[in-house]
This record gives sequence, C-alpha cells and structure tokens, in this order.
Amino acid sequence: MSLITDLALFVDNAARTATAIPQLTDSNPNITMDDAYAIQALSIAQRRARGETRAGYKMGLTSRAKMVQVGVDEPIWGRLTNQMREVEGAVLSKKKYVHPRAEPEVAYLLKRPLEGKVSALEALDAIEAIAPAIEIIDSRYANFKFALPDVIADNSSSSGFYIGNWHSKDTDVSNLGILLEVNGRAVQIGSTAAILGNPIRSLVMAAEMVSRSGERLEAGDIILAGGATAAHALSVGEHIRATFEKMGQVEFVVGE
Amino acid sequence: MSKVENIKKAADLLYAASTSGQACEPIRTLLDEGDLDAAYKVQEINTKRGLEAGRRLVGRKIGLTSKAVQNQLGVGQPDYGMLFADMARTEAEEVKLSDILQPKVEAEIAFILKHDLENPDLTMADIFQAIDYAVAAIEIVGSRVKNWDIKITDTIADNASSGLYVLGSSPKKLSDFDPRLCGMVMENKGEPVSVGAGAACLGSPLNATLWLAKVMAKAGFPMRAGDTILSGALGPMVAVKPGDVFDVKISGLGRVSAFFSE
Repeated sequence: MSLITDLALFVDNAARTATAIPQLTDSNPNITMDDAYAIQALSIAQRRARGETRAGYKMGLTSRAKMVQVGVDEPIWGRLTNQMREVEGAVLSKKKYVHPRAEPEVAYLLKRPLEGKVSALEALDAIEAIAPAIEIIDSRYANFKFALPDVIADNSSSSGFYIGNWHSKDTDVSNLGILLEVNGRAVQIGSTAAILGNPIRSLVMAAEMVSRSGERLEAGDIILAGGATAAHALSVGEHIRATFEKMGQVEFVVGE
Repeated sequence: MSKVENIKKAADLLYAASTSGQACEPIRTLLDEGDLDAAYKVQEINTKRGLEAGRRLVGRKIGLTSKAVQNQLGVGQPDYGMLFADMARTEAEEVKLSDILQPKVEAEIAFILKHDLENPDLTMADIFQAIDYAVAAIEIVGSRVKNWDIKITDTIADNASSGLYVLGSSPKKLSDFDPRLCGMVMENKGEPVSVGAGAACLGSPLNATLWLAKVMAKAGFPMRAGDTILSGALGPMVAVKPGDVFDVKISGLGRVSAFFSE
C-alpha cells in the first residue's frame, strides 16, 4: 500500500472511532496540499464503501482573519456525507466526536451542477434554497493542533452539520447578523459578511476548487459556505442556538 | 494637591492636548484608581469649557458597550461622552487627520430622539416611543492620551475617547430593521475589516440607549428631543491610516462612509 492510502486509512479510522491522533506532518513533513486532498478523497471513499452517501461539500478558512492566521490565500474544502447530517433540534452525541466545536454557517442547496470557473450570477442561478446551519467541526488531531496539509487530509475538520429551515434562493445573505448562544447567552456575534465578504463568493470558490479534484458540485448537494464567527467548543449539557437575521434559528443540545 | 485640584489639573491636561494636538500622559495617576465619579467630573469641566466657548451640545456617545472591551478595562458597565455639533462630518467631506488625535473607527447605529427623557425610571417602551429615527453611523474615536494608554478613568475623563462622527443619509424607523440581529460589515477600500451585529452592543443598541437615558436623567442632564445618540460599536474598532476609505453596511438600516485625508 502507498503512503497516501496508509494515511487515508489512519485518518478514516480516527474519525470512525473518535480517537485523537498525532499530526500526519509530524512523521511525514513533506506531504503536499495535493497529497492532502488525495488522502481526504481516499478516506471519504472508505466511508462510501461502508454505505455512506454523498451529501455535498464544506468550505473552510473563509474569513480573511483565518487565512492570514494560517498563511493561505484561498479557502480549503471537505466532503459531506449523509452520516454527518444531524437532525435539527436533536441531541448531539458528544462521544461520536473527539473534541467537537460548533460554528454558524450558511448552507446552499443546489438544483443544478456547478463546475470550474463560474460567475456569481451562474452560482446564484444554480441555488435551490438557502438555510441557516451549524457545522460541527472536529479535528481528529490531538489538541486541535495541525498544519494545513493535516487539516485538509482530515476532511477539513468537517464532521457533522445541522440545517435549519430552507429559505428562498432570493434571500439576500450578504450581511445577515448571527448570534451563537450557549444556554441563552451570546458567545459569538457576527455577520455572514465574514464569509469572504459575501457567502456567494464561497460557492463560486467551491465550484472551482472541487473541480480541481475531478469532481463537481451536483444537483441536490448541500454546500456549507464557511464559518461566520469563531467556533465554540462544546460541553455536555449545553443548549446551542444560532439565530440568523431573517432566517430563524438552528439549535441542538449536547449530550453524552 | 487636593482632590479638586487634581481633577482640575487632569481636565487642563486633556484640554491642552486637544488644542495643541500633542497627546498627553495618562491622567489616571491624578485620580484614585477606579474613581469613575472623579473621572466624570474631569469630563464635565471640559464640557462646561466647551459650552462657555459657544459649542453646541447635540447628543451623547455610549462607549464600552462590548463585553470584550469591558473585560479589557475591568468594568461592568458602559461609559458616555458628549457630542458637540463641531464633531459632526458629512459623508461628502474628507475627514482631516489633523482634526483628531490617534483616530480609530467604529460602526454604530445612531438614534435621534423626538421626545425628552426626563424620568430616570424608564423602560424599553419609553425608548421605543422616544426614538424618532435610526441611521447608520461611523464614529471616529480618538484619544488625547499618548498611544491610547488608557484605563477606565482616562477614557471617561477624556470625553469617552470621542472625536468625530459621520451619519449616513437614509434615516429609518425603528420598525424598518432588526436592531438586535442586523448584520454589520465595515470595509476599507472593499476589504472587510470589521464584522458584527447589533447584539454586539450590550445585546442590542436599544439596551445601551436605555442605560444612557436612565443615567443622564438621574444625573440631571436628561436626553432631549433632537439629540443624537451614538449607541456603541457593532464590531471591533479599526485604526485609521492616511487615505483610508471606510464603508459601513448595516443590514436593513443602510450604509455610511467616511474617507480620510492623506
């Protein structure tokens, strides 16, 4: 087996068993970004082989602050499967995760494929509906510490997502206020404008970046456009609620 | 020196800094640590000085409305400063850097009142009734204290670090937007530099306004019909460089811009 396959099985196993692992780049410092996306693709192929089905994609590092922090000039992406989807309002089982965090996001549902370089207008035209969402991000690396290739190989930390009510594709989501509350108290306050200045830019980037791996955004895919605020580390017993201007709420409770 | 003399001296230092354009050392050493009353007395001396010189008082600004900033300064409440007519700029004019010491910008919601708020026993319903309209605003804060080396008493004494302000040009009714959930993005030449929402200001800019109106009524300087209230920042403040162009968009409320001299 090649190194890429070995590492893919390693991260897949970590995700499947909710076990923290050392960074891949500790023992393999020469892993490139391309290698990292190849590891991610193979690890997701493992999930597919176990019967999980495709649900869409997620974008990460979509705020200027995060890009600067990590030293990149474009976002990263990961893949969503049906097993990652949590039911809105339902209890999150914390033991399914290593050290989960919640982050409010905008979700797009597509009615048409998007591939390669597309304009914002074409991207808008491919949208079926828009919803408020909370992504559960969970790095499988010990202490949430990783280099860029590590996080990409680990499906860009994506591990779960909650979707709220779907709204018309004409909803202007360029600058909607967002409150992330824990037990009724605001812990993060922001705006969807934090997502690349306008979340539609994230959908445009997703179409282009995903196509570099020989895939495309398909009709029926859900695209999570990226975090609109910093993430909140989850503890058992917490009630988590994200309230979006004009789009309503997404909520859940953190269980054992 | 006596306490009264120290308060006077602090006011003189800050006043001299504002007229000379040379920032002064922190004045907190002249006051007891955390003596907010004394700090407001310093502010009041310079307010009176302004009024005697013919400056027109047009409202108040509320500061320290974010939990993060309150924690940073070790206080559990906002503060306030005076707005004079000569601090107002329009969107169409260049803001001269020479008009303000160490400028930073904040995106805010401004409320303009149609009723006096004289009774200190106010509720939110009184605030709803008293607000004539709201408008997006950029507050250009400044500090007369060298390098913004401020503690709570420095900033209160220094008129809550107020400087200049710009109001947008499309006033809205309170029912036209969501003061708590409205998204805010401030861009500098198209680059988002500060992002937030109404709730970042004490849970809602209306909460801050209620706090101010109560405090001012209790102090015997009630808010009056026609007054402008800069209710507090909706996102992190941003330092100003020569030539900067700031554009603030507040969802449902509109936009406001400010451009600075080279």
